Amino acid sequence: MPDDCVIRMQDVHKRFGATHAVCGVTLQVERGSVCGFLGPNGAGKSTSIRMIMSIIVPDQGLVEVLGASALEAKDRIGYLPEERGLYRTMRVAEFLRFMARLKGVASTQTDARIGEWLERLELPGVSRKRCMELSKGMQQKVQFIAAVVHAPDLLILDEPFSGLDPVNTRVLTREIRGLQERGTTILFSTHQMRTAEELCDRVVLIHRGEKLLDETLDSIRQRFDPRTVLAEPTGDRAAATAAIQSLPGVAEARWHDESQALRVRLREGGDPRAAMRAMLDVAPMRRVELRRTTLDEVFVRLVGGDESVLAAQEASGD
Amino acid sequence: MRRVRAVAWREFRHTVLTKGFIFGAIVVPAIMILAAPLIPLLMGSETPPIEGRVVVLDRVGGHLEALRIALQPSGDASPKPADPLNAPIERRPRIRFDATVEAAPADADEAALRAQVGRQELTALLVITRPNERPSAELLVSSNASPRHTRFLEVSTEQALVRARVAAAGQDYPRLRALMDDGAVATLRVSPEGMPSPEETELRMLVPLGFMMLLWIAIFTSANYLLTTTIEEKSSRVMEVLLSAVSPMELLLGKLLGQAGVSLVMLLMYGAAGLGGLGALAMLDTVPLSHLLWFLIWFPIAYFMVAAIMAGVGSAVSDLREAQSLVGPAMIALMVPLILWMPIVEYPNGGLAVAFSFIPPASPFVMVLRLTAANEPIPVWQSILALAVASGSVAALVWAGARVFRVGVLMQGKTPTPRELLRWIRTR
Repeated sequence: MPDDCVIRMQDVHKRFGATHAVCGVTLQVERGSVCGFLGPNGAGKSTSIRMIMSIIVPDQGLVEVLGASALEAKDRIGYLPEERGLYRTMRVAEFLRFMARLKGVASTQTDARIGEWLERLELPGVSRKRCMELSKGMQQKVQFIAAVVHAPDLLILDEPFSGLDPVNTRVLTREIRGLQERGTTILFSTHQMRTAEELCDRVVLIHRGEKLLDETLDSIRQRFDPRTVLAEPTGDRAAATAAIQSLPGVAEARWHDESQALRVRLREGGDPRAAMRAMLDVAPMRRVELRRTTLDEVFVRLVGGDESVLAAQEASGD
Repeated sequence: MRRVRAVAWREFRHTVLTKGFIFGAIVVPAIMILAAPLIPLLMGSETPPIEGRVVVLDRVGGHLEALRIALQPSGDASPKPADPLNAPIERRPRIRFDATVEAAPADADEAALRAQVGRQELTALLVITRPNERPSAELLVSSNASPRHTRFLEVSTEQALVRARVAAAGQDYPRLRALMDDGAVATLRVSPEGMPSPEETELRMLVPLGFMMLLWIAIFTSANYLLTTTIEEKSSRVMEVLLSAVSPMELLLGKLLGQAGVSLVMLLMYGAAGLGGLGALAMLDTVPLSHLLWFLIWFPIAYFMVAAIMAGVGSAVSDLREAQSLVGPAMIALMVPLILWMPIVEYPNGGLAVAFSFIPPASPFVMVLRLTAANEPIPVWQSILALAVASGSVAALVWAGARVFRVGVLMQGKTPTPRELLRWIRTR
């Protein structure tokens, strides 16, 4: 394994009875990167993560973490599982001390680290509270602290933002970015494509146990040809819509309130540059711009594979 | 080992230092032990005196005086030891008798008197008849009569009838009573070295039972905690968080050791209380050092045997109700020593005792019963073989428990069938 490779999965399979949960997944995560592990529910993300963590054993294939089995590197890995859980009657500080002790943090440093993290995650005054007294969002943040209190080299987060309000999502995003800046390698699964776009260097998309995509965001944007153009006419909106609609290569043109422009969806294989030039020719425009492909669109395109799903997604303004 | 120690300490601390444990395992038994000597006093002082009217319908004749004396109001007795009727009544509850004893005419209407008892106008009606050679009495009390009052009247009447009979025969009751006293037989057990020691049959039965119950309580309390904490960790979804930090084997080992500490605390607590009690009664010699040594050898074997079962079951289920169905078969085997303690203690080298000495998980409890009953030495080969079988069983149960634990802790949903459990055990 190359030195800069923190996670390596090679042709990994896992079955549960008749269900082939993970089929031949191969994956490499480089040191210091943030890798988004995306996929619909039941795609095999959590199973893959559990195999990476050595919580379950693959039926076939190789999994290496930090150059060894995760069992041997547990103290260097932080993990926030999808299933959230705390000892309900334990006090927050006591729970975090317990987790820190399990992860090998020196007892002289534990309280300082816990205090620092509680402050960072805007959880003042909760250390003496019992875990069951906290709100769901607060519990999730406490669990996040349990995953990072030992300053891991690798942080694995399974749906870290699910159930968090926008403010707490922002707080957690900020801390994940901070950890990355300090050199932590991060692998996280999520359904929130915007957050993934914001944080990830690289995205792995898994569906029905198989890897469909494993690329950097730039490469994805280049590869997944943008097919939506935003056009803001200066004159009569109805006439411009009709003119654009009649252009070859245009599948649909519809006014979009939020962007205050016509959303022009191009036909599969249509040339966006030619279409944009044609739009300028048929109607006076304030602006014509190619809309950036979102991960959402890529996700729906690969997983949904259905034009109508994509259209619905676009119409909703995403 | 750091992780195992951390898990074990958390398990121990969060079991022993909880209100539930302190109250259930320490405060309540302590209160019971302290209150035990007070119970008879409290009961005695709480029983109200017998009041009202006791009517005697003596169809035979000659019993009224004996009954009057037997039932005479407390404190009014003027004992005349020479008079057989005045000898103290034995084995009677200590209750104040403030009722009057009245004689009904021989031709009185018995049905009417019975009706009066039913209406609680009379405290009791004593009808003395002679159905055969000897007079006998029928004691009628109302439906709300206290059992202790009834017992007082029964005993007094029985003894009054005997004394009246003795007096009628012209005999001296106290002398007859003294002649009828049990003979004094002192049984001595002679050791192979020829040293005699007094036989204490009841203690010989109770000491082994005490040892086994101590083992049972200490182990089942902590094993039950092990079961419930494992289920709680699964249901509160904290298990996966733990498994990110420790391996399933480390987690299981930590939990087993932590609860072993809990079990040891209980053992020391109750054991010390028991020995203290025996010491206070100057009966410490009933527990020789060899008993304690055997007990300490069998304690960890019994603990790990039961705890491995409980940990495996706890990991396989999602709630306590489901656990009952899986623990059931093991519990049946574990109930054997409780059910059969008497024949085992009576015949520690009998076929039943020997057979169950080699059947886990009952064997540690049976062996403790046998070794502490010690009417006769247990053959050395049996002790060694039983230890070997039990140790092998512990290894097998802990191994199987760990295999089930490893798979079960991540399972949610329906309870596994026995066949599925076997599959989990075989899973790589």
